[in-house]
Amino acid sequence: MIRYIIQRVLAALVTIWITTIAVTLLIHAVPGDPVRIMYAKFQSTPEQIEAVRIALGLDQPIYIQYGLYVSRLFQGDLGRSIVGDQPVLDILLTRFPPTLLLATTSLVIAVVIGLSLGFLAAYKRGTVIDVGAMVLAVLGVSIPHFWLGLLLLFFFALQLGWLPVAGSDLRSLILPALTLGLANAAVLARLTRSAMIDIFDQDFVRTARAKGLPKTMVLYRHALRAGLVPIVSMMGLQFAYMMGGAIVVENVFAWNGVGRLAIEAVFARDYPLIQGFILFFATVIVLVSLVIDLLYAVLDPRIRYS
Amino acid sequence: MGRPPTFITTPILALTAGLVAGSSQAADLVWARYGDIDSLDPHRATSTLSMQVWDQIYETLLAFDGEGKPQPHIAKSWVVSDDGLDYTFELQEGVLCHDSTPFDANDVKFTVDRAFDESNPSLTKTSWGPISAVEVVDDLTVKFTFESKFGPFLPFLADSFSSMVCDSNDPETFGSSTGIGAGPFKLVEWVKGDTVSLAKNPDYTNYGRPFDNKGPVNVDGLIVKTVPEAQTRLAGLTTGEIHIAEPPFDDIPAIKESGELEIMVAENTGQNVFWEFAISRPPFDDIRARQAVAYATDPELAIDIIYGGLSQREWCPIARGVFGNDQEFCAQYGYPYDPEKAKALLAELGYSTDNPLETTMFVWTGGNRHKLAEIFQNQLSQVGIKVAIEIMDIGTMNARVKEQNETTDETPGTFDMMTWSWYDPDILYALWHSPGAYSGYNTPELDVMLEETRTTIDPEARLEKVQAVIKHLMENAVHVGLYTPGWEWVFAVRPEVSGLKIGAFLHPMFNDVTIKE
Repeated sequence: MIRYIIQRVLAALVTIWITTIAVTLLIHAVPGDPVRIMYAKFQSTPEQIEAVRIALGLDQPIYIQYGLYVSRLFQGDLGRSIVGDQPVLDILLTRFPPTLLLATTSLVIAVVIGLSLGFLAAYKRGTVIDVGAMVLAVLGVSIPHFWLGLLLLFFFALQLGWLPVAGSDLRSLILPALTLGLANAAVLARLTRSAMIDIFDQDFVRTARAKGLPKTMVLYRHALRAGLVPIVSMMGLQFAYMMGGAIVVENVFAWNGVGRLAIEAVFARDYPLIQGFILFFATVIVLVSLVIDLLYAVLDPRIRYS
Repeated sequence: MGRPPTFITTPILALTAGLVAGSSQAADLVWARYGDIDSLDPHRATSTLSMQVWDQIYETLLAFDGEGKPQPHIAKSWVVSDDGLDYTFELQEGVLCHDSTPFDANDVKFTVDRAFDESNPSLTKTSWGPISAVEVVDDLTVKFTFESKFGPFLPFLADSFSSMVCDSNDPETFGSSTGIGAGPFKLVEWVKGDTVSLAKNPDYTNYGRPFDNKGPVNVDGLIVKTVPEAQTRLAGLTTGEIHIAEPPFDDIPAIKESGELEIMVAENTGQNVFWEFAISRPPFDDIRARQAVAYATDPELAIDIIYGGLSQREWCPIARGVFGNDQEFCAQYGYPYDPEKAKALLAELGYSTDNPLETTMFVWTGGNRHKLAEIFQNQLSQVGIKVAIEIMDIGTMNARVKEQNETTDETPGTFDMMTWSWYDPDILYALWHSPGAYSGYNTPELDVMLEETRTTIDPEARLEKVQAVIKHLMENAVHVGLYTPGWEWVFAVRPEVSGLKIGAFLHPMFNDVTIKE
């Protein structure tokens, strides 16, 4: 088990290290002169452009640039944004909590609805309930987030007047969380159904029932837990992507998270901010994947003891 | 299996049930825009979105009237020395910064010194002109000295780039979380990417802004919200969460028809949309190719189809409301829609509809400009110009256009639907005086003419100099005006809100605004 954990942690560190290299190279992948593109709208003189180039270390050989970047990273310095001249880390830390809140709430919605619907469909396999649940799931997977968001906005905000259109308070969280949650629930429902159908057919479930265990214990303690491994894996992926910011949904509901920040940075060609975001997002994905890997070990004894 | 377990619930209903929209604070005006400000510091940003917020927090020494002419404001009078190099301003007495310290000549000097700070100068430092010194004569008198005469100085002092910053600002936080000025609103909080919250400045006196209200604003506060999605802004306007916003373009006819929201169109925006060409290499190194594009495109028809009367034909290289704009004068040198003339010019160059001139048009995203470009593309194809359209954001387009002018490769030169907004014809200096903002067309003759537009102060004499430049640019088909305004100039306003005025050069002002209960 300890060996497994060490392996996963090392793999995570290597991934982050590779990301730092990619992020350093990113600025050189831009066609043309990145500094000039960044400063295109300003009345910059060639001297000012040169000063920025030096400040960003772009006048140095690439290995020196990488060294400088990493040494600054260890000091928690992700550079300063071009737009507004603010520390990138501060900007990311300001915009991350709303995204974390949105991702967590959406995940709760997705898990509650998705697992329930999938479990029910599997349990009532071949019935109208199963078909109905899966039609809903297919719809949920197919409807673009943008459209679902606008539909919910139209219904709950415009028609019923129950919820605000946009904002940053808890009431404003409901519609974007619902949009994301429903879309992700659909994916989870389909996955849960197929996983549970497999499990229901397995010998150990039949044995458990034959031993006379109460039905709920068979379902929750034996069947559900055994089917959770692929579901947890999918939940983790969904959560990680939402932590990187649900760009479309954040945009529709003016939710002030990192997804919108990333879009703003790209449009402004704010390379330090784009680099910071990529590194940040990669780190979040790596950390969430690590937690999932560790959860596998809890859920599946075969991993724990191998 | 038997009965389903009883764990199926509908938690979403629990989340939403019982929640009803709360009452909004009627005295706070909510203004939603597609993007946020870049900085609270007028020296650290250039976007219109930022400038429109600075207008509320800071004052300028002069103020534009409705026609875009600078008038006395915080500076109640000024004297220009005979040699045109010294400007001495007398300030209003009793103006207070938001922290209740008096606004005086020291604040003016502080602002200018800051803009010229060598270690971190203002992004628009060159617009201040060749200032060599700023001197505090006494608390209410301040003197600017120039190295050479600078015609655009007075209009600049009415523009938000010259916003006056109080010297009591904390240098550590100024721009990122604080901003003390003397404007009609005080900064309460800036939640980056989301909201700028402003509160009424009860000590405010309006000396020169062209509004009826001479005292503090009527509303308690102004909430400037970022709502990127146009449909969401429209939904917010409908529910009443938002009072003022730019509506989705395609919905404007329906909004007008329903009568539920007022549609306001800004005048004198200073915006100019124009054809601009990479003249360093073929095909646009030949004036006939440039003229052919100008003759082959019909902006009047295109803007009528796309904007339905919300924009208008612009003949000049500078927009209406800007000093020197004269439609009649510019039309003499303009290129009215004439496809036959375009065909004849192309034939001279060896092109026809069977053997078209192939090139690329750059267009920047938003404001339905891509649709406009498609109409132009179609018009051009009819005379023998085959155009590929590339759509990009404005910053990228600026850089790409410059690259196009500087590249030495053999690919055909491009042209672009360029846009600029400025308060003075000095924009022509920035664009076309060598090396030029885009390293584009320039000649020693034009350089001299442009320099004269800066060093001539007398308005009549300056007008002549400006018109000479306009004539040169148009006759050479370098800067061919298309239409104005071009972006973010339409506002939808809730019926309970009255008194919104869009000041010259697209500066919405809230001095006269009231909200009915």
